[in-house]
Amino acid sequence: MDPYIREHNIERNDIANAGTVASLTKRALKQRGLSREFIKQVTIGVYEAEINVVIHSYGGTANVAIDDDFVEITFQDKGPGIENIEQALQAGYSTASSYAIENGFGAGMGLPNIQAVSDEMDLQSSENGTYLRIKFNIKEDSYEH
Amino acid sequence: MNIDVLTTDSRFKAINDSAPDAVISGIFACDMLSHVMGHAAEGNVLVTVLSNINVLGVASLLDLPAIVYPHKIVPNETVIAKANELGIALFSTSLTTAETVILLHELGV
Repeated sequence: MDPYIREHNIERNDIANAGTVASLTKRALKQRGLSREFIKQVTIGVYEAEINVVIHSYGGTANVAIDDDFVEITFQDKGPGIENIEQALQAGYSTASSYAIENGFGAGMGLPNIQAVSDEMDLQSSENGTYLRIKFNIKEDSYEH
Repeated sequence: MNIDVLTTDSRFKAINDSAPDAVISGIFACDMLSHVMGHAAEGNVLVTVLSNINVLGVASLLDLPAIVYPHKIVPNETVIAKANELGIALFSTSLTTAETVILLHELGV
């Protein structure tokens, strides 16, 4: 199939639209005949990363690329960056605002969940912004049988 | 199991009727969305006190057909309209979260 390439803007604190990238990516994966289990793993990863941009950053972009062999999503935000990446990767550690927590976020499970579901995860951060790339390899058993 | 098991039980008040043929299997109770995202399974009835619109986003992504709000919680009109659009059934009950889970289990969900 032709590669699927999309760029999405993600606005700061736009909780009402959080999940749009995950939802559109899920739809694209369904159309390619990928299995429910594979789609779920990708959806979890994309959703968590998308939420992170919404609740922690000044806004940013998500680039989604789906090819025959992989799904790769890169998120780039405009800051303020993750102060301590090692801590951020610990399950349960959170710097979420009360606004985010009131909306059901901020359990400190975002990055650990992304790490658990993805095949590759690359996270770099400075005060100018955070870059996150997550990759899922498509194998023979990733398709619906 | 069909969603009828909830719609016909007087202890659950149907907030909408947007998914009359929904098939439900299993219960997941949680108020942290990342935890729901990571652990709920397709078909689960979600029991949560969170009544904001993001719960619907998560339910839709995971193909959760129904949400039960305990403690008489009823979401606002925007949330109900979104649930109708997504085909997710919403219920409210005066029971607590724990009592809701027990009742759903007793009903065979």
